Amino acid sequence: MSENITKSKLSKKDVFKSYVYWMMFALSCQNMERMEAPAFAGVMGKVANKLYDSIEDKQALMMRHTQFYNTQPMVGSMVTGIALGMEEERACGKEVPDELIQSVKTSLMGPFAGIGDSLFIGTLIPILLSIGLGLVGENGSIAGPLFYAAAWLIIMIPFTWLTYKWGYRSGISAVQTIYQSGVMDKVVRFANILGMVVVGCITGQYVSFNIGWVYTSGEMTMDIQGVLDGIFPGALPLLITLACWYLMDKKKVSMGKIILALFVICLAGKFFGILA
Amino acid sequence: MNLLQAILIALFGYLSSNYSPWVFGQLGGWYTMGRPLVSGFIIGIILGDVKTGILMGAAVQTLYIGLVTPGLSMPADLNFASYMGIPLAMVAGADTEYALGLSVPLSFLGVSLVYVVASVNVFWVRKQEQWIAEGKIEKAANVPVYASIVQFLARFVPIFLACYFGQEFITDLVAAIPEWLGDTFVTFGGVLPAVGFAMLLRFVLKKNLEILYFLVGFVLIKVLGMPIIAATIVACFLGFLDIKYMGSGAGKAEIEMEVEEDE
Repeated sequence: MSENITKSKLSKKDVFKSYVYWMMFALSCQNMERMEAPAFAGVMGKVANKLYDSIEDKQALMMRHTQFYNTQPMVGSMVTGIALGMEEERACGKEVPDELIQSVKTSLMGPFAGIGDSLFIGTLIPILLSIGLGLVGENGSIAGPLFYAAAWLIIMIPFTWLTYKWGYRSGISAVQTIYQSGVMDKVVRFANILGMVVVGCITGQYVSFNIGWVYTSGEMTMDIQGVLDGIFPGALPLLITLACWYLMDKKKVSMGKIILALFVICLAGKFFGILA
Repeated sequence: MNLLQAILIALFGYLSSNYSPWVFGQLGGWYTMGRPLVSGFIIGIILGDVKTGILMGAAVQTLYIGLVTPGLSMPADLNFASYMGIPLAMVAGADTEYALGLSVPLSFLGVSLVYVVASVNVFWVRKQEQWIAEGKIEKAANVPVYASIVQFLARFVPIFLACYFGQEFITDLVAAIPEWLGDTFVTFGGVLPAVGFAMLLRFVLKKNLEILYFLVGFVLIKVLGMPIIAATIVACFLGFLDIKYMGSGAGKAEIEMEVEEDE
């Protein structure tokens, strides 16, 4: 008989409004203790009157979502959609235990944060920015910032809304689809590979470090940078980037110290006329 | 920079900051108006010199193109770098390299502020629970709306003060910077993006040997001279080959790992 229960309490407009609420306020109460939880509880609070009549049920609904929650809010908008769908099913009388809703949230927030940060923030944004910076050129063309803003919004607004809606409609079955088909594994893996290659690309594009020193001995002059470029173009920028990665990842050196060290190297290099 | 301009810059600085909800959250704020490329454009409009604004924005953007700011870890504060560094460099009539020179120290100034805001916001967590318990559902649901005042104060006030009262100081400072130091900033600006990319690499690299993917990307651009979109297509192809022939076992462990990292 539970098969016949349909979701009927929330209108399309309610769902859209809850999406807008999440997109806007997900981080506006970001805090040390529960991260994005106040916004998650807020999403539920906004639909509480539609889902339940008694105040106790409304309170319980919000309380369920005051637990620690943290993900990439845009890419993870689907998780909020799923939770909303599950809460509506529950309000319509379907058997949905508290633990299930909680475990769906906690098991999805990590992967969505991972995909969000590596595929969208770490890959898509640098690519779009690279194109935008190319359009700026030497004349400071407004095409650069306009291209970036337009491309980013045109991709992300439909993406976040459609995944939110899909999560809401499919509810728990969205989670099952994601896990059983192994889609999540593949998306994470694909995002990682794309991310690694693109970081290599933008490193090649944006890091520059040139030796200006020319070795002279009698008649013979040797342009050190020219020799290096002949062996491997961009060898020094590549080595510096790898060194920064090694120090931060393996030696746990802080970003501030590395930046300071690079500044000292540049200062000394300039002073002795080694760097261009 | 007059009073109105300083107020407008501080206001847009707040709207573009990470936790500001008003321009469709992160989507329109932090990740659109908060990118230095776009921030420079906005600041240029306010200060009446769009071209210089965009050029300075682009220079600052290059430094931070690879910056990922997951959760509460904020290695550099792009918000101050853009909304203090760019306008101050512009009113001082400085070159783009000075904008970089100003932005880097300013980007460290804001880092601890993120933690201050996130600590103060714990107060709202308590308030929300209290209001739920008292049955004030609407009020409890609006907690993130009220909480946005904290971020407003943390962003609007410093940016306004720095822009309005800092301009003379910065103008004198820039005039006093010797040429060799300016030259150093140019070289420094060239190598600094390496730090952002190293951070990004740390983020996407799961096994040491997979550094090969990074090297392939570098070679595509630097040795083969490919444009970025073409190189992205090659990257997609490599990703496709990997998930087609590797089997699904490889990804599982990573998901679990990421969950642990996030908690």
